[in-house]
Amino acid sequence: MSSETTTGATDPSRSTVERLHVAGLHAPGDAVLSVRDLNVRFNTENGVVHAVRGIDFDLLPGRTLGIVGESGSGKSVTSLAIMGLLAPTAEVTGSVRLKGRELLGLSDKAMCEYRGNELAMVFQDPLSSLTPVFTVGTQIIEALTIHNPTMSKKAKEARAVELLAMVGIPSPKDRLKAFPHEFSGGMRQRVMIAIAIANNPRVLIADEPTTALDVTIQAQVLEVLHTAQEETGAAVVMITHDLGVVAGMADDIMVMYAGKPVETGAVDHIYYNPRMPYTMGLLGAVPRVDVAEKSSLVPIEGMPPNLLQAPTGCSFAPRCPLASDACLDGEPGLEPVDGDGLHRAACIKSGSLGGTVDVHDVFAAPPVPVSRFDAIPRAERATVLQLTDVRKHFPLTRGALIKRRIGTVKAVDGLSFDIREGECFSIVGESGSGKTTTLLEIMEFHPDQDGEVVIGGLSNKQAADAKTKGKMRRELQMVFQDPTGALDPRFTVYEVLAEPLQNAGMDRGAIKKRVMELMKLVGLQPDHVNRFPNQFSGGQRQRIGIARALAVNPKLVVLDEPVSALDVSVQAGVINLLDQLRAELGLSYLLVAHDLSVVRHISNRVAVMYLGKIVEIGAVDRVFDNPRHPYTRALLSAIPVPDPQLEKTRERIILQGDLPSPLQAPKGCNFATRCPVFAALPPAKQEKCLTLEPLLEAAAPSAAVQALEQAPLPAPDQQFACFYPDGEIDEDMLVVHEPADHLTP
Amino acid sequence: MLKYLAKRGITYVVMIFLTTSAGYFLAVSSLKPALLEQERIPRPTPEQVANSMRLKGLDPDLSPWERYVDWLTGIITRWDWGRSPNGAYINAEFGDRVWISTRLFLASIILTLVIGVALGVYSAARQYKFQDRVITSYSYLAYIVPAPIAYFLVQLGAININESVGDRIFFVTGISTPGVAPGWPQFADLMAHYVVPTVAITLVGWGAYQIAQRQYLLDNVNADFVRTARAKGLSRNQAIARHALRVSFIPVAQSIAFTIPAIFAGGFFAEKIFAWPGVGSWSIDAISLQDVNAATATLAYGSVIFALGAILADFATTLVDPRVRVQ
Repeated sequence: MSSETTTGATDPSRSTVERLHVAGLHAPGDAVLSVRDLNVRFNTENGVVHAVRGIDFDLLPGRTLGIVGESGSGKSVTSLAIMGLLAPTAEVTGSVRLKGRELLGLSDKAMCEYRGNELAMVFQDPLSSLTPVFTVGTQIIEALTIHNPTMSKKAKEARAVELLAMVGIPSPKDRLKAFPHEFSGGMRQRVMIAIAIANNPRVLIADEPTTALDVTIQAQVLEVLHTAQEETGAAVVMITHDLGVVAGMADDIMVMYAGKPVETGAVDHIYYNPRMPYTMGLLGAVPRVDVAEKSSLVPIEGMPPNLLQAPTGCSFAPRCPLASDACLDGEPGLEPVDGDGLHRAACIKSGSLGGTVDVHDVFAAPPVPVSRFDAIPRAERATVLQLTDVRKHFPLTRGALIKRRIGTVKAVDGLSFDIREGECFSIVGESGSGKTTTLLEIMEFHPDQDGEVVIGGLSNKQAADAKTKGKMRRELQMVFQDPTGALDPRFTVYEVLAEPLQNAGMDRGAIKKRVMELMKLVGLQPDHVNRFPNQFSGGQRQRIGIARALAVNPKLVVLDEPVSALDVSVQAGVINLLDQLRAELGLSYLLVAHDLSVVRHISNRVAVMYLGKIVEIGAVDRVFDNPRHPYTRALLSAIPVPDPQLEKTRERIILQGDLPSPLQAPKGCNFATRCPVFAALPPAKQEKCLTLEPLLEAAAPSAAVQALEQAPLPAPDQQFACFYPDGEIDEDMLVVHEPADHLTP
Repeated sequence: MLKYLAKRGITYVVMIFLTTSAGYFLAVSSLKPALLEQERIPRPTPEQVANSMRLKGLDPDLSPWERYVDWLTGIITRWDWGRSPNGAYINAEFGDRVWISTRLFLASIILTLVIGVALGVYSAARQYKFQDRVITSYSYLAYIVPAPIAYFLVQLGAININESVGDRIFFVTGISTPGVAPGWPQFADLMAHYVVPTVAITLVGWGAYQIAQRQYLLDNVNADFVRTARAKGLSRNQAIARHALRVSFIPVAQSIAFTIPAIFAGGFFAEKIFAWPGVGSWSIDAISLQDVNAATATLAYGSVIFALGAILADFATTLVDPRVRVQ
């Protein structure tokens, strides 16, 4: 590779500046990719948007750079600019050098030589990133053909099989002929990675590669990326908004804000010693799945700046709690902190933000709210929702004219739980586990339902006429996942909030008073009531959704993925609000979320669902700190934690494959097909899992704890459905990354 | 797949039977050929009219149900679709006219499709550039201008050419000149008749395909999978040609499949203006001539053509889109 660099340097056709560049005056000679002063401007109807403003970095072979930031911070634009995939109307300036050769300014045709060859990319959405009308084999082989025109057909096919095997697709030879729609999301992302590494790239750019996937699948795909990097020795640029995902993978981190890097450095510096308030805020905004002690999250108020105007001061100053007049005087550049030159931050106060400064003080995080119910034991509180043996089965039929029933999808299969006053109960599980169907069954409230739903003392079995239903709706309200889709764009906020009140038969004066009250309650300005939803940001829209749910004073609020559509910094504000409302109003929540960190932060009790059944249920700290069911253990171990040291050393259970189709569900334990414990069991014990269905049973307090205590402990609040809860985990599914294989500086 | 097609086929047969029967009842109760006969000079007596109608199987004294049963029996047992009030046999007339319509439309529809899809791709690749604006504006114009006016304009143009040359190069109406020597002169004569209608129908027709193909392709030009193809090392144009085009062709293929059988059904305006007596003009004439059997026959034919189009469209979709392939 160094010979390449020298060849470039002596090339007489290059300009002086370029030769200086190549000679290493700007970039270290061994950098495989070096970016200098990258700027991207888009011409829009409103003016020129300066989306990326001066990015510099050098990427050494085999290293991983994580680019982190909120949506709109310019991460993806940066990656597309490096790949030369931006629209021709985008104006890109600066320098991007791949092994010393300048890429910017090359024609589309000249770039083709590098794209897919030395420079490859994995995109965010695997569902739309593969051409639907070609087989995956064709698409992998195409990548090979473009750069190896002389390769024989047989060799290409063999290589495609090898690639599919490398990314962990079972029976790769047959799968070559499969079309993308025959693959699940995780499998398609594997195919994308196979295409990207087909020609052994030197640089692999992964743009939010796991954002669209479930946690268990995310863990699989990250593992594949790790393998791909080991196999090819490529340098990786990992773009993500999730600080957990990069913590274990990256060597260096670049935090971006408003199109500019605001802090760069080795991963440990950024995570353990952030020197820029924005980085500190981002880290403080992420709930931790591995920490039991409850502290409020750090919300970063406000919105990122509009990049139509050039900022005159620090672009983060309007949202920064530490901002002073000096911050508004010119935009600070990246300056080294601590003197070693590797850790740099763009903040004039970075010197005073050393290790001991607590982010909660900086951002004035609200105190942890205390509910009046917290002091009352759970058993003494009233029940607001009770589900008894609720089932929802869908027939699976085949045939158009005469339908044959070929199976049953047990979306919800015998669910029983209750929620007490002032409590937050969460349901977690992968997509397809039946979380949403459970919510729909509760909202349905019909006497013909299989199973009993009791909401605030009203049962669906007794009377489900319109009157009872209306009464039920006043007990229970719902907040939806997508705040934009859930609000009528042609209703003002006032109309949105007034509608449920009119339904409840309130008079005009009272409605007006209540609407103003609600706006203040959820932290919105009351004089904004005449605005339309599109005039609010995503986080504010979700607040409107919460206010609408609270309008009729319900006892129970059902939250369906309330923060999954929001950025971390905004998410923190909404979670804090939910926590505060629960304490102030004595609300109970039923929360469905795929993000276990959020669940741990906000809930009191949790149920883990798998294929329509609860496999483990109990107090959130019990279940998360001492998970007994192998599925819970796998789920928890799949969640990346924003702590580099922990991420690099901890064991991870990587589940094989996807959720099985309902037709393949075994007779006994549903989870047996993917169970890491099952795989390690002797055949005699496996037989039990395959034939008998494990029922939920209470967990006994562990013997060690029992011995320490004088009096026998009451049984802890934890139940699980597994025959071998403490079984050994199969070694194939257990992954530990040795810290030694990383070149930590 | 075969089973699926058979199922669809049965559904369509039932549908065609119902439409045709309903059409027959409507025609038989509203069309009265006997009235037209009475306007002849010398005026025939009502008995003479009824008699002549009875001979052609159009007895006005029978109830609609009786006539329906007779008509249906004729079709099922002898494949005889009856006779017109002027005595012509529907079966014979029909064969001639389908052939005329087919000859009139075949070339122009193929040209329409090829030119429309090609221009759609060309203009999509040059979105908002001068060429795209010209082509797409023309297509919208062709959309707006009523077909008869466009046909007349083309006729006028052909006449102008004839006049400026001073010789009759193009015929603007008719199928052929009677009495031309067979061989080369006859072929030249046929072509001289064929050019004007073909050009006229093509000029008006391609707009719809151009607009559709351009739109579907533009929807896919910035699709994620095209970006993936470019990330593999294809240039933008290669990625569009190999990946976006195939996907954007799926809805176009469907609409093409619907067009092909329509060739045989003809078009009323073109047949009238260019004086090619095909199925299209026949169906309208049948109504003005109070011809029950011809009107019903063209209706039945229209339903069959529609069903064929739908089945062809299914076929075309499965051919280009693997996602809908039935296992």
